[in-house]
Amino acid sequence: MPAIQDIPETVFQDTVQKAVQRVFSTMLSRSAVLEPGNSLTPPDATELENPHVVGTVGFIGSINGLIYLYLEVPFAQECAAHLLGMNAAQLAKAGDEAVNDAIGEITNMTVGTFKNQLSDRGFPCRLTIPSILRCSRISVKPMSSAIRRIYRFKIGSHILTADLLMQTGE
Amino acid sequence: MRYKLLTVDDSKTVRIIVQKAFKLYDCEVLEAYNGVEGLALASKEAPDVILLDVTMPVMDGIEMLTKLKSDPMLKSIPVVMLTAEGGKDSVVKVAKIGVRDFIVKPFKEDLLVQKVGRIIDLKPITDIPMKARSVFDPANLLIVEDKPAIFNQIQEGLKHTPWNMQCVSTTGEAIDACGRSTVDLMMISLSLPEESAFTLFRVLRANLKTKYTPIFGLVVKTDVAAQQLAQQVGFTGLATKPLDMSELEAKISRAMNLDTSERYFRNQDDVLVMTLPENCGLAVMNEVATHLKSKISEAVDSGISKAVFNLQEVRRLDMNLIKFLLSAMQTCREVSLHFSLVGSGAIVSECRAYEDTRSWHFYETLDEARASFQTI
Repeated sequence: MPAIQDIPETVFQDTVQKAVQRVFSTMLSRSAVLEPGNSLTPPDATELENPHVVGTVGFIGSINGLIYLYLEVPFAQECAAHLLGMNAAQLAKAGDEAVNDAIGEITNMTVGTFKNQLSDRGFPCRLTIPSILRCSRISVKPMSSAIRRIYRFKIGSHILTADLLMQTGE
Repeated sequence: MRYKLLTVDDSKTVRIIVQKAFKLYDCEVLEAYNGVEGLALASKEAPDVILLDVTMPVMDGIEMLTKLKSDPMLKSIPVVMLTAEGGKDSVVKVAKIGVRDFIVKPFKEDLLVQKVGRIIDLKPITDIPMKARSVFDPANLLIVEDKPAIFNQIQEGLKHTPWNMQCVSTTGEAIDACGRSTVDLMMISLSLPEESAFTLFRVLRANLKTKYTPIFGLVVKTDVAAQQLAQQVGFTGLATKPLDMSELEAKISRAMNLDTSERYFRNQDDVLVMTLPENCGLAVMNEVATHLKSKISEAVDSGISKAVFNLQEVRRLDMNLIKFLLSAMQTCREVSLHFSLVGSGAIVSECRAYEDTRSWHFYETLDEARASFQTI
């Protein structure tokens, strides 16, 4: 089994791109386009200018990792409304909990699709339960042994940021 | 029988999506948050199918599945995994324990319904029970015909109905149209190239959404072979070309189980008015006759004691119509319902030619007929 450092950059990019695109087209009928840029550049905490909903799901196995999906609150609400078949008023009544749960599930599906591709490449791992952060400023500092990749996707007029943190596992 | 589905998932979002996917079908969706709740509900409710996630708190899907399959009372319940854990290893592991199917998230609601539909005989429900649907309610008709002239004829012939008609010329377009919206009835030309009408019919019958949709074959009257084949494969009916539009309309109404009585019978204030159409062919007479006794009974039940048989639009009198009217009059007499007749000059003249109808008295207008009751 190759070490995580030996996995070519294009594999991560293709895998996460396929995962995001599959989830957003299947569940939300939206197309996601990978924004050009350097995936090795860590996001500056100040880039989060507006309140965000951040979904996180981990995977444990021959690769251990965490993926954060960053969505601005209005985008998160839009996704939740579509997924739950609610209008804005119904979603407002359902509250932040409904939005959190929906983004948790979108993250779960995205990370699941990502890690299933890794599993099929010979890196078996299993998913953890999703968690949600709501914040305006966030700074994630990985351990030095972890590798990190950041990809941004344009979905309609919104940006989805996928932050991948991984290290070789068991 | 109302089927029960149990969705076991820690995500409320997924449980809502499952509820949404099955809301148009005659089944009840039960929800559990984790394996412990799932097992408890399975024991209590004995669902017909379980949709099971893998990654859940307290008890995950693998543990629940293992316990389920080791319980003699529960092990026969079919389980469909609905999970983001879709790597080959996970699928193999779960398959060994025993599941009926496996759906990897993300998923389309249609796929979910389709897979569950292979396990239980899901039937669509409508807000309005089929029996209560009337000929005056809108309905969607899809015509699969590559000859525009035929579609134009159907559209023209049925333009007085509230039915929305869409024409497509290929089987692919037909399948797309059925996927986009609910089709209440389809007509497929049996002369589409390469017997594709029959292939399309099989595809539609295999699809849960169109499994029970009435499907007519559009066929030339002389093409007996195609008609026989259509009947063998199970087409709901045939519409033979050249088309008799009033016959076709009656067939469509019957196939959609529409209540056609309102077309002929109306209670206007304290009078039951039966209006016969211009063309009173045998099919129309049979249709009116099927409603006659029940409509008269309903009228009498609701306190109505007068009836008008309105023949103003009728073009000509024939023996079928005379027999029907004699029967209607007899029914009225049996329940002491006073009746009068309205008809045009032509009908009055025709009545004078027959022994049985010579004595019938017609009023020229509905108002005159209604006024005549005041003298009773």
